[in-house]
Amino acid sequence: MNIAADQNQSWLEQHTHAPVVGQELEWLKNLRAEALAQFKQSGLPGIRDEQWRHTNLRALKSNLYAHSHGSSTKVSATPNSTTRLVFVNGHFAPEQSSLHESDGITVTDLEQGCRDQSLHLQDHFSSTLPTQQHGFTTLNTAYCHGGYVIYLRSGTQAASVLEMLFINTAQDDDSLTNISHTRNLVVAEANTRCRIIERHQGEDGSVYLHNTITEIIAGENAHIDHYKIQQDSSEAFHIGGVFIEQAANAHVKSHNISLGGLLTRNDICCNLNGEGGHIEMNGLVFGKGRQHVDNHTQVNHLVPHCSSDEHYKCILDDHSRSVFRGRIVVAEDAQLTSADQQNNNLLLSANSEADSKPQLEIYADDVKCSHGATVGQLDPKSLFYLQSRGIDQQSASELLTFAFANQVIDRLEAECVREDLTKLIGGALLHELEDLL
Amino acid sequence: MLSIKNLHASVFDTPILNGIDLQVNAGEVHAIMGPNGSGKSTLANVIAGRPGYEITAGSVEYLGQDIAGLEADERACEGIFLAFQYPVEIPGVSNMAMLKAAINSIRKYRGEAEITAADFLKLIRNKAELVEMKQEFLKRSVNEGFSGGEKKRNEILQMAMLEPKLALLDETDSGLDIDALKIVAQGVNALRGEDRAIVLVTHYQRLLDYIVPDFVHVLSAGKIVKSGDKSLALKLEQEGYSWIEDELQQAS
Repeated sequence: MNIAADQNQSWLEQHTHAPVVGQELEWLKNLRAEALAQFKQSGLPGIRDEQWRHTNLRALKSNLYAHSHGSSTKVSATPNSTTRLVFVNGHFAPEQSSLHESDGITVTDLEQGCRDQSLHLQDHFSSTLPTQQHGFTTLNTAYCHGGYVIYLRSGTQAASVLEMLFINTAQDDDSLTNISHTRNLVVAEANTRCRIIERHQGEDGSVYLHNTITEIIAGENAHIDHYKIQQDSSEAFHIGGVFIEQAANAHVKSHNISLGGLLTRNDICCNLNGEGGHIEMNGLVFGKGRQHVDNHTQVNHLVPHCSSDEHYKCILDDHSRSVFRGRIVVAEDAQLTSADQQNNNLLLSANSEADSKPQLEIYADDVKCSHGATVGQLDPKSLFYLQSRGIDQQSASELLTFAFANQVIDRLEAECVREDLTKLIGGALLHELEDLL
Repeated sequence: MLSIKNLHASVFDTPILNGIDLQVNAGEVHAIMGPNGSGKSTLANVIAGRPGYEITAGSVEYLGQDIAGLEADERACEGIFLAFQYPVEIPGVSNMAMLKAAINSIRKYRGEAEITAADFLKLIRNKAELVEMKQEFLKRSVNEGFSGGEKKRNEILQMAMLEPKLALLDETDSGLDIDALKIVAQGVNALRGEDRAIVLVTHYQRLLDYIVPDFVHVLSAGKIVKSGDKSLALKLEQEGYSWIEDELQQAS
């Protein structure tokens, strides 16, 4: 047996006591068995895989993992107006969650959702995943033990923001690292609308691995605004996936904000399956210390008359590093596609690094596609301009850094998110100017 | 207010200014003219403290203090303002946010309390009126998507907001149509006062019809080669710079 096979076997052994849910459901059991078989074939990805070339998983693989069966971690009380589900180490924490059920809208946890036969989750579970999946995705299918389910029946709109809070903690036993696999499903039937804010958090300094996948199935003319705000512990590993299927005239916005984590990898993929669909992808990375953030995005234009609009910006300080791979595929039939992709990277230190890889594959001949990638530093002319107005160099740098981030923040419609990010990225000076920005 | 003695300066190690002497007193308006490449803009940028613009000999004293050791922001806080020849676009920061940050930074430097939100809004509305700038421009990102004329008006708005003691205007008139020129002049003239001084760097006498200078200096090859009153500017307009060069040659 070679080392890789050894390692994969060891991974499976670490999952022997995984607290999976829905074991009594035949369809889920089958899906899990299939995924497990796939994992045994592929194992975890490594540096030799093209899609993981820039992301070294050695530190992640060197840990010995164990599941945590819940925790006493408490979160602050839910604001009255919002629906909030809380997951601690991937397990649903009903006592800390507040559900606002209304006609036609179901917001529940994965276990309940799978059991609720009226939701027919067997038709949707794993339906958005690509045929070629990496080992974390198959592991997630095989062992997911928590997550949220949002089901919107035709014509319904969620009255409030749906907030999903994922909190992970360290293991009590230092020799073990906490691992959790969460799977979230959003099924929006025709003419529906909702805004989902996923927050990922952990006590700073704690080590854990959170492997989380969100599947979004947007029916005809569904409008879904999905935020993923990752503020994990600076020692944490975060492996994430957002997989989106869109029917005709569906509008989905995927916002992906990475502020925390030691190593973060996101795969965000969207299939535009019906005419008139629109996907907007916004990303913001603020790396410090030795943080590594790898965002792989893919938009598949499969039919005519769809549009995609993608803006990813990375700010990198200290020894941090970002990887961006943005792939846009325009199928032969997808005439009159409009696709734009921008990736801009701002290096604040000489030791930071950005790798940007835009990939356009266009098989149709009547399309409008554009892309751009930049890597740069703060503009000395702009710094002098601000300094000549009396603003000191430190504040001028902060203002310009924020200005860079603000070009993405400005695109976010959720005011609470904009405010949070202004505070987190802008610092004191910007907080004071908040109402004027 | 400003006392420049035998100033030599380099721009990224290329010598540009070769011994400038200039005395500017409070209440005065000085125009600096001269052919392209004579060092007019360099002089303005050296006084404002632009990085890369180094004083290699001589001195620049402002209000009795040698300013060579001060950073650009410290000079601004001391009351020096530079209206840029090419104002910089800063996407993501609104005009208002930048101006509030600037005003509070200057107040902090002077040990004064921060401006209140209400006072700030009142001030900016007043000053925007002076340069006939619409409210919507205040909320837009600094200079982003502004026309050439709008950018120059924005420089004057910033100057009016910060109320400097010494205003340096670097070719603020270039690229302006006659209406915009009048608005800019109106803004500058409103700032004129006994305790302020203005230095205009310009190519054209046209601006000086609206902002009448007390002194006109001609710069050539990094030196002031001739000084006079506003009639000097008129003569330059009619006859160009060659007669000065001839005079200089005859003198040598």
